[in-house]
Amino acid sequence: MGRYVVRRLLQVIPVMIGVTFIIFCLVFALPGDPIQALAGDKRADPNIAAILRAHYHLNEPLYMQYWHYISGVFRGDLGETYNGRAISDIVSQRFPVTLKLGLTSFAMEAVIGILAGMLSALKRGKFLDNVVLVATLLLISIPVFVLGSVLQLEFGMNLKITPISGIDKGWPQSYILPAIVLASTSMAYIARLVRSSMTESIRADYVRTAIAKGLPRRRVIGLHALRNSLIPVVTFLGFDLGALMGGAIITERVFNMPGLGGQLAQSVYLRESPVVVGLVTLLVLIYLAANLLVDLMYAVLDPRIRYE
Amino acid sequence: MRGAKSAKWVAIAAVVALGATACGGGGDSGSGSGKGGNGIVSVEIGEPQNGLVPTNTYETEGGQVINALFTGLTKLDANNKVVNAMAQSIETKDNKVWTIKLKPGYTFHNGEKVTAQSFIDAWNYGANQTNAQQTNPLFSHIAGYSDLNPGEGKKPKTDKLSGLKAVDDNTLQVTLTNPFAAFPSQLSFTAFVPVPKVFFKDPKGFGEAPIGNGPFEMKGKFKHNEEISTTKYAKYPDASKIEAKGVDFKIYSNVDTAYKDLVAGNLDVLLTIPNSGLPTYHKDLPGHTIDEADSAVGYIGFPIKYNKAFQNADLRKAISMSIDRKTIAEKVFLGARTPADDYISPIIDGYRKGACGDACTLNVAKAKDLYKKSGGLPGNKLEIGYNADGGHKEWVEAVANQIQQNLGVKVTAKPFEQFQTILNDLDAKKYQGSFRMAWSMDYPDMEDYLRPVFSKDAITNGSNYSGYVNENFEKLLAQGDKAPTHEAAVKTYQQADDVLLKDLPYIPVYFYTLNAGFSDKVKSMKVAGHQILWDTVKVS
Repeated sequence: MGRYVVRRLLQVIPVMIGVTFIIFCLVFALPGDPIQALAGDKRADPNIAAILRAHYHLNEPLYMQYWHYISGVFRGDLGETYNGRAISDIVSQRFPVTLKLGLTSFAMEAVIGILAGMLSALKRGKFLDNVVLVATLLLISIPVFVLGSVLQLEFGMNLKITPISGIDKGWPQSYILPAIVLASTSMAYIARLVRSSMTESIRADYVRTAIAKGLPRRRVIGLHALRNSLIPVVTFLGFDLGALMGGAIITERVFNMPGLGGQLAQSVYLRESPVVVGLVTLLVLIYLAANLLVDLMYAVLDPRIRYE
Repeated sequence: MRGAKSAKWVAIAAVVALGATACGGGGDSGSGSGKGGNGIVSVEIGEPQNGLVPTNTYETEGGQVINALFTGLTKLDANNKVVNAMAQSIETKDNKVWTIKLKPGYTFHNGEKVTAQSFIDAWNYGANQTNAQQTNPLFSHIAGYSDLNPGEGKKPKTDKLSGLKAVDDNTLQVTLTNPFAAFPSQLSFTAFVPVPKVFFKDPKGFGEAPIGNGPFEMKGKFKHNEEISTTKYAKYPDASKIEAKGVDFKIYSNVDTAYKDLVAGNLDVLLTIPNSGLPTYHKDLPGHTIDEADSAVGYIGFPIKYNKAFQNADLRKAISMSIDRKTIAEKVFLGARTPADDYISPIIDGYRKGACGDACTLNVAKAKDLYKKSGGLPGNKLEIGYNADGGHKEWVEAVANQIQQNLGVKVTAKPFEQFQTILNDLDAKKYQGSFRMAWSMDYPDMEDYLRPVFSKDAITNGSNYSGYVNENFEKLLAQGDKAPTHEAAVKTYQQADDVLLKDLPYIPVYFYTLNAGFSDKVKSMKVAGHQILWDTVKVS
C-alpha cells in the first residue's frame, strides 16, 4: 500500500515535465503578440515594446524560453506576468477562492446527489422518483449562465438574501449561489448514477441474504447496498473534484469571483505562457492527487480490492 | 484487509486536510460599501492592467483610479474644456518654451509638499526607456526625450530630460523639441501627474499602494480583482468641494453582473451600461442616467499601402456613402453610438457637425455612380476584417450587408483572433482587405485625432495602419502646432481635418456615447473624457 502510493507519486514527475513543456509549446504557437496585446488596438511604442520583449526573452527560440522558465521554477521563481505581477502572488490570491468555491459545490453535489439518488432508487416508480428524474433532467439541460442569472435575479435582486456578485461578504454567503450553479449539472448526474447502481444492488443476492438474516433495513441499505453502489460515483466525484479545482470560467464570470478560471482564460488570451504553464501545472497536480485519492477510496468501499 | 485499512486512513487524512485548508483564510469581512448613509461611493472598474503607477497606466480602468488619487496640472471641466487644475498659470510665447506656475498648498498624502521637482522627477521616470513605462511615447514632445530613448540594447547616457527645469519650488519650465500647441491639453492626461519621493525607492510597491496628491487617498492596498478602497484626503485644497467621503473601486470582470449590482443598489456608479441593460436602463434607474458623447471614434480602414485597389479616393467614398450609419447606431448598437460626421469626436473643441457631409451620408444612387467611375474592386469583392474578441461581429456584419446591398458587391466580414492578427496578416500580405478600427483619445485635443492616426510618423509609431501619406496634411499639422493661440491652432487643424475628409483613408462610421448610470445614493454627477469629475458628485 505504502509502496503503491510512492510509485504513484513518482509517476507525477515525468507527467509534470511533459505537461509543462506541451503547454508551453501550445501557448507559444498561439497567434498574436503578448506585448502588443497590452496596448489593445493602439500600436505599442516600438522602442518600449522591444525593451519589454528583450526583458521577457520573447525574441529567443522556444527551447531557450522554456529553459528560462523551467530554471526559474527550480530556483523557486514561478515568473511574472507581462505586466510585472508575480505569479506566486496571483496563485496565492486566487487559489483560496477557487478552493472554497470548489469544495462547497463538491460537498453540495455529493450530499444532495447521493441522497436524491438513494431516495429515488428506494421509491422506484413512485411519485418521488419521478420528481427526482424531472428535476435532474431540468438541471442537466439548463445552461450554467442561465441558471446563474436566474438565481442572481431571484435571490440577489428580488429577495436580497444573498449578494449578487463578488466575495466581499466572505464564506458562506458569497459562495452559496455560485456553488449551487457550479454543482447543478454534476449533482444531477450523481443522482442518476446512484439511482441506477442502487437499483441493481438492492436486487443483489447479498442484500436479500442480509434482509433474510433479519438485519434492520437501515443497515441493509446504508452498509450493504449503498456502499457497494458507490464505486462508480466515487470515480465520477474524483474526476469532478479535479475539474472543480480548475476553476469555473463561466460561473466565475457571472458571479464576478476572482478564481483561477478567469485568470487562466485571460492569460491564454494575453498569451502569458508563464502564467498558463504555472496554473495548469498546479491543476495537473491537483488532478493527480484527486485521482490517487479515488483509487485509494476503492479499497475502502470494497475490501476485495487490493494494491500491490 | 491490512491494505484496505491504511488506505482508509490515507483517504480520510487527505479529505480532512483539504477541508481544513478550505476553512482557513475565509471570512474576508465586507467593506460595507453600497449600504447608504456612509458617504462612500462605489464605482465599477475592470482590473487595471498594471500596478497603479501613473506613467505606466495607459488605459481607462487604472486611469479612473489615478484620477481620484492624483491631481495633475490641467484637467477637463464639465464642458469638456481644458482648464487649470494644479497649475496657477501656463504661459508661452512660441508654443515651445512653457512656464507653468503651481498653485501652492498641495501636499502628497504622506505630507510631502508638491513642488515643481515632483513633476520633473515623475516625467523623467516616465520618459526613460529603462523603466519601460507604457506611456513613454507621450513624453516625446519634451526636449531631451531621444537621449533617454536610444533604443533597445543601448543604455541612456542620462536620466534627465534636458527640457525640464524647476525655476523655483512653484515654477516649472518646460522646453519642447518643436512647438506644440496642444501641450496644455496633453498635461491633463493622468500620466503627467506628480509623484512623491518615496515612489523612486520602490516603484513596484508604490503601484500596490500609491501615494498621490489628489482628493482621495488609498485605504489599505490594491486588492487585485476585488477592490481599491480610498477615503477623502482632508488636506486637499479643494476638499470642501468634494462631497464623497471615499471611493471604493469595485473590480468586475463582467459588466452584466455589475449592472445587476447597480440596479440592486450594491454598486453606485457604472460608466458603461452593458448591452443587456441598454433597452431598460432608463426605466431601471429613473433620473439617474447620463447619456453624452464619449471620446472614441469607430472607423473602417483601407490598406492603401498594401492594396492598389483601395488607392482610389472615389472608391473609398463610394463605400462610405453606401453605409447607413443611423441604422448601425440605433438598431445594432441600441443607441450606444451616434453616426459619425467628422474625424474629430463631438466632445473636442474643433469638432464640426456634418463636416464629413455627403461622404458620410447614405446615398445609394451616388455611391453606385462613384463606384462605377472609380473602376471598382477586383472581382467585385470586398472583405472587412475585425477582431473577434471585442464585440465587433454584429456591426461589421451589418455594415457588410449594407455595402453588399447598396453597391452590389460581394462583401464578407472576416473574423481574426485579435486586432494585431489583422495587422500582421496585412504586413505578411496574407490579407488585403479593409478592417475595422477605433481611436480613443489620449488627451482632449484635435491634434490627438489627427497626428497619431493619420500622419507619416504614425505609420511606424502610431495607428496609421492604412499607410496613408499626404504632404499637405503634414504641413498643416506642423503649422497648427506653431499657432499662437488655441483658436488659431484649431482653425489650422480643421484644415488638416478637411484634407482627410477629402481623402478618406479611414471612413468614420460612428462616435461612441457614454451611457452611464448611478444609484440613489448619488444625487447628481458629471463625467468628462470618460472620467468622473469628483467635485461634481453630489451624495444624497
